[in-house]
Amino acid sequence: MEVQKEAQRIMTLSVWKMYHSRMQRGGLRLHRSLQLSLVMRSARELYLSAKVEAHEPGAPLPPARSPDPRLHPREAEAAAEAAPLDGEQSSPEPMDTQEAPRAEEPPARCAPRPAKVSRKRRSSSLSDGGDAGLVPSKKARLEEGEEGASSELRDRLQPPAQAEGAFPNLARVLQRRFSGLLNCSPAAPPTAPPACEAKPVCRPADSMLNVLVRAVVAF
Amino acid sequence: MAGAGGGGCPAGGNDLQWCFSQVKGAIDEDVAEADIISTVEFNYSGDLLATGDKGGRVVIFQREQENKSRPHSRGEYNVYSTFQSHEPEFDYLKSLEIEEKINKIRWLPQQNAAHFLLSTNDDLRINLWHLEITDRSFNIVDIKPANMEELTEVITAAEFHPRQCNVFVYSSSKGTVRLCDMRSSALCDRHSKFFEEPEDPSSRSFFSEIISSISDVKFSHSGRYMMTRDYLSVKVWDLNMESRPVETHQVHEYLRSKLCSLYENDCIFDKFECCWNGSDSAIMTGSYNNFFRMFDRNTRRDVTLEASRENSKPRASLKPRKVCTGGKRKKDEISVDSLDFNKKILHTAWHPAENIIAVAATNNLYIFQDRIN
Repeated sequence: MEVQKEAQRIMTLSVWKMYHSRMQRGGLRLHRSLQLSLVMRSARELYLSAKVEAHEPGAPLPPARSPDPRLHPREAEAAAEAAPLDGEQSSPEPMDTQEAPRAEEPPARCAPRPAKVSRKRRSSSLSDGGDAGLVPSKKARLEEGEEGASSELRDRLQPPAQAEGAFPNLARVLQRRFSGLLNCSPAAPPTAPPACEAKPVCRPADSMLNVLVRAVVAF
Repeated sequence: MAGAGGGGCPAGGNDLQWCFSQVKGAIDEDVAEADIISTVEFNYSGDLLATGDKGGRVVIFQREQENKSRPHSRGEYNVYSTFQSHEPEFDYLKSLEIEEKINKIRWLPQQNAAHFLLSTNDDLRINLWHLEITDRSFNIVDIKPANMEELTEVITAAEFHPRQCNVFVYSSSKGTVRLCDMRSSALCDRHSKFFEEPEDPSSRSFFSEIISSISDVKFSHSGRYMMTRDYLSVKVWDLNMESRPVETHQVHEYLRSKLCSLYENDCIFDKFECCWNGSDSAIMTGSYNNFFRMFDRNTRRDVTLEASRENSKPRASLKPRKVCTGGKRKKDEISVDSLDFNKKILHTAWHPAENIIAVAATNNLYIFQDRIN
């Protein structure tokens, strides 16, 4: 659906911009980061609404403005987690943070990459033993990996305090908020509203959200 | 200062014809980032004009005495002084580079007894400084939440009331303005007045929140009104009415359908400023393609002008420009897709008493004045 694609594109673009803004002179800007997160939130809400509507036409849509992730981060993330976001499944290719969009790369190039249609669709839970064997290091990296190769990534996820910049809390908030969007953690809070327990849907792996995953983790 | 303008003529009407006067700055196609002008300000008499740039330099121009042999020509502005005001610094604690860019220049009023200034470099706090005490300040507004996850807005601009030294306003990224009275309490977290226009639900988009962010707020010289600039419009507010502005002027409404592209190229984050003329009868603000717009509040007419080297012959009249928003493009009109979004006019200033304007176009400063009939 066009609306869904557009929302997805804007989410990806926003994450790229957020990452890029850390590289600029003067570091992260609070106002800019806030604006980017507002756009991401709008796009995400629309994306989720469009997705639910596409799968259940006529069913009541989740309210466009709720839950406000800032006031109820847990509920918002639970709602996001429970929704069938296929792309959040980890890509089997190594998550190379060096590939995160560079400063000079125009945003247009971060737009749709060719879908790897041959990739098997991942289950929604990373704790699934079958899948863990396929992407063991992925999960480890996302959850404070132990492997040496992931130590750099770990540093990026939890940068040392002195390198966090002016708004360490904001960086962590945004990271947590959008990791929640993309991870389907088995530890989803039980308070997830029933309306959001949508049926899983078979879809080809969503390459757009793969990009999103990489970018968020890199950020 | 007195609010009456010397010209007093409508900005966009037939009475006033804007002409090129001077242009300062290099002509190079390749503009160094450091040379981009980041602020322009006339002093209270209009005899001095200051610019600051991203490289931390300040240039002050002084108006020459009128040339007796050419009685019809106004005094020109020539360089009076130039100095390096700020240098880049590094915050070792936060591993952050501190930019040397000049954000704002404000001239000290000569007659006014007030010796305070507001500083709002911090998004979340406003401090009040006594000019003779440099090691500490009063914090008068603090909107930082205890939990940063609850942050929903930041401060974007602030200004003292021109006549009531205890009153100031600050604008937010949510499109609201709060007026505070420092006599009411030491910490002005509670406002005396709250200006907000209800959002039009029919125009809601992904970018509604971004474009409603106020980039500049300016009191009129009279102190009766204030003006706010958001991404697409300029609004004039009567300080006695908080519920909605008394005037809304569309600067470049044709960009509303292009917001997605403007988000991609970051233009949607551009912070345009605005200014009043001396008599508060006209307002001016910048746009893209080196266009700037003037709105006459009395005649309700508006005009779009362009700052360009092509129109830089002395005393050459500026021809009004028009953007074609749809349908057949007329001769001399420019289509929206042909606009150069790298050429933006963010900073403009209007002489406090005469019809002389200074317009910053990237690294060039243009000075225009009205033709003397």
